[in-house]
Amino acid sequence: MTISRRSMMRGGLAAGLGLAGCGLTGLPGIRSLAFAADASAGVGAEAPAGTLVVVFLRGGADMLALVAPADDPDYHAARTPDLRVMAEGQKAGIRLEQTLAPALDFRLHPDAAPLADLYAGRQLAIVHAVGLTDGTRSHFVAQDLMERGIAREEDLARTGSGWVARWLGEEGRGEGEPGRVPAIGTASAPAAALAGMGGALAVPDLRGGLAPPGGPQAAAVLAALYRQGDGSYERTARAALDGLTTVDGRLPREAGGKVAAYDAEGGAVYEETEAGRALQTVARVLKMDIGLRAACVDVGGWDTHENQQGRFANAVGQLSRAIAAFHADTQRYDRDLTMVVMSEFGRRLRGNRSQGTDHGHGGAMMVLGGRVAGGRLLGRWPGLASHQLDRGVDLAVTTDYRTVLSELIGPPAARSFPGFQGAPLGVLRG
Amino acid sequence: MGGAVPNPSSALPAVIALNRLAFGPRPADLEAGSSQPDRPDHRDWLARWLDRQLSPNDTDDPEVERHLAAAKLRIRYPAGDGWEAVDEDRPLACLGQPIESLWSLAANRPAVAGPERQRPRLEVAAATLIRAVHSHWQLREVLVDFWHNHFNVNAAGEPAVAAALPVYDRDVIRRHALGNFRAFLEAVATSSAMQVYLNNRSSRAGSANENYARELFELHTLGSGAYLNALYNRWRDVPGAVRGTPDGYIDQDVYEAARAFTGWTLEDGAGLGGDAKLPVTGRFTYVEGWHDGYQKRVLGREFDPFQSPMADGHRVLDLVADHPATARHVCTALCRRLVADDPPAGLVALAARVWTENRSKPDQIARVVRAIALSADFAGIRDAKVKRPLELVASFARGAGIDLVPTNPLLGELDGSGQRLFGWPAPTGHPDRMEAWLGAAAMRRRWGLLLGLAENRWETGAIDLAARFPAPLPAAAAVDRWQGILQDGQPEAATTAAILSGMGLAADVLLAPGTKAGDDRLRRVAAFVAMAPRFNQR
Repeated sequence: MTISRRSMMRGGLAAGLGLAGCGLTGLPGIRSLAFAADASAGVGAEAPAGTLVVVFLRGGADMLALVAPADDPDYHAARTPDLRVMAEGQKAGIRLEQTLAPALDFRLHPDAAPLADLYAGRQLAIVHAVGLTDGTRSHFVAQDLMERGIAREEDLARTGSGWVARWLGEEGRGEGEPGRVPAIGTASAPAAALAGMGGALAVPDLRGGLAPPGGPQAAAVLAALYRQGDGSYERTARAALDGLTTVDGRLPREAGGKVAAYDAEGGAVYEETEAGRALQTVARVLKMDIGLRAACVDVGGWDTHENQQGRFANAVGQLSRAIAAFHADTQRYDRDLTMVVMSEFGRRLRGNRSQGTDHGHGGAMMVLGGRVAGGRLLGRWPGLASHQLDRGVDLAVTTDYRTVLSELIGPPAARSFPGFQGAPLGVLRG
Repeated sequence: MGGAVPNPSSALPAVIALNRLAFGPRPADLEAGSSQPDRPDHRDWLARWLDRQLSPNDTDDPEVERHLAAAKLRIRYPAGDGWEAVDEDRPLACLGQPIESLWSLAANRPAVAGPERQRPRLEVAAATLIRAVHSHWQLREVLVDFWHNHFNVNAAGEPAVAAALPVYDRDVIRRHALGNFRAFLEAVATSSAMQVYLNNRSSRAGSANENYARELFELHTLGSGAYLNALYNRWRDVPGAVRGTPDGYIDQDVYEAARAFTGWTLEDGAGLGGDAKLPVTGRFTYVEGWHDGYQKRVLGREFDPFQSPMADGHRVLDLVADHPATARHVCTALCRRLVADDPPAGLVALAARVWTENRSKPDQIARVVRAIALSADFAGIRDAKVKRPLELVASFARGAGIDLVPTNPLLGELDGSGQRLFGWPAPTGHPDRMEAWLGAAAMRRRWGLLLGLAENRWETGAIDLAARFPAPLPAAAAVDRWQGILQDGQPEAATTAAILSGMGLAADVLLAPGTKAGDDRLRRVAAFVAMAPRFNQR
């Protein structure tokens, strides 16, 4: 079993650093070890959530069309039926048991049925009215803030690294450890949340293998070309070669050398969608046992200013099925694996006349995994009456997005989210 | 990753200038320059080169014409509901067409096969490669690439954007790339491609669609640095707003601007009420009945109600084009493209001054580019950019002397490299910072692009080895010669050693051109030299 080894390795690293930190205080008990891990930034410490998969819905997902109080008169007044989760009829949403606002009938979009199953199975928790406290409605500012783990625009200029890189204590390292890939992103460009982390690998797809093109000769030339040199190009190329070689070496191959088709567990079927391909890549790297602790996955298509109904239903269906496939495929990781789904903001409560919605504020986050105290809607529901809305138009943010992420990563949150303090919501089981 | 290293020498080698202002030098550019009294490392040389390049003559680009006329891309698909099977090599037939002829590719009825709908994007991408490699007017090609990203549309998404792309490339981006920004802005605002991409065509009085108005402020003009929504809730709180000169904008400006552009739309067959419908041509039109005519306030200026047709939108374009934040934002982006990821503040200020002083001139943009290119910072900064895949491909073809012909597999490889031309989903356009292009898998694709071109894997044209290697020569000399050809100046000994050791070649082993073994190795050496850090930076 791979898990115990990974856990041991991490425990060992934490202990090593803990000892260094505790030299000052004498005998390290459990408490002081935990404190030391905090003070020394917790490098290598076991995160409460285990390996973390961060799914970022690019474009500002309309969470009010995904999870919403279907019987709320303010919701009805602001949106035409095509933009609502319905309480009844052919396209009725799926009712969620919840205590967030017991008087309201919260329902999930019908195309999110796989998520409703995970919710009912207490694997999935949803935090509503969550997001950035900053007032931006810009995709790119909001994404930047969240990926760097901050909440104020004036902090952008002085925060170059990503929150995941700081969590893993690996920002500023030129290269990773050979044979170890602590983090991956599944977009072609390196994930912003991993910025500053030399050992992070951007690998959209593994199906063609990752060996350098041109065979062993080209590989030897590339290794020699980038062997030295301190420029960022050389360092990045060296890390890329190491990471690519590590992952490629663990891809099972057919007799002819072709990369074998991925054999998912638990009857999982990944579709040929952005979410399906990306989560399959994550599962595959996770199972390589090369120390994966974080994966950043982008899923686009959520900027639904126009003709939202069909586009949103497709996007929700694809996402939900991909998440369900990943969950089935990685069952054996149980408490050692957690997924969080987030977006840069929610969308305007009121629809526009293009049958779409414009940029809004509060949204929702979803957390899935064996450690999650699921089957619950969490946070504080602010209501949808005009006076309850942010600036009179958008779902208010009553929970800072960092509250959720902090709980998932434990003490290193002090480094990932500098200056932020927030009491955990209890997303995870104790 | 800033990496902007000032160089004590004021001399600017032509290879550096041509890697930024062109898609890399051709060996002839460097040889011609260095054999003449006005050496290419002189400012005079660059000033004269800029004079020519900033007044391009379209009737004088024979290589581009020859390649565009000869180019063919494969198109194949099986028979479907409403169409016959097709499998042919087809010329770039979409490029010269008006929107009316292409718009049928955007319609749901009659049915059109998917590859036909994607065809315009592929053709414009192929033409872009041809021009990047072969055009005399290299600086315009560099700026066309810049503006396509600044005013990004995604032609790999909605078919209507793909259908509108040839016109957008030809009549909007190319026409204005060196021109006046205010005129450019209006051409973009009324283009079919942008109307579809940022949804303004469906915006209506009542609850306007904010997509275009928001990105107009944030990306096209003032920039996110001037988006002050986190600081101010009300327009009058923005410093300077009550005097009509606000420091920046907030959501209230976005809302009002969105109202100003209601009624700006396309002839896309939309219903006008009753049985009336717009024609189906894809052309821009204005529908007064959809316009929100009441009074507005944008950037601290009052708009009286019920202005003449399109006057509200025109006034918004005037205001954003003239705002000082726009000069800073667009000039920062230009300096980032032409000089460094983090351009010096002084250079941006210089460019912004030229921008503002010339804002009513028809060649405003050309003047700004000239000022940037002749600045001390332009000459002093080195290796502050990583070539994007398009630059990598074009500069390698130009340097190695490949008479490049675009083919479907090459376009596919470029898509896979992370730079799918005209196919970036977000309105930001392709990123223009080093780190975005150095993901591990993306680097692997870069190496694959170079090797594939050198070995002519995609039938894009062979390297003319005989011209450069007339006689057998030692391996070390061959590596040195390729370094000289591809990046000018002294060969780097470490690069030569790395390539020889990786290839398992002794320095003095003879490589004989004209033999299979010799040619194979000489081609690979070209690719390997181009994989070294030096060729990848500019």
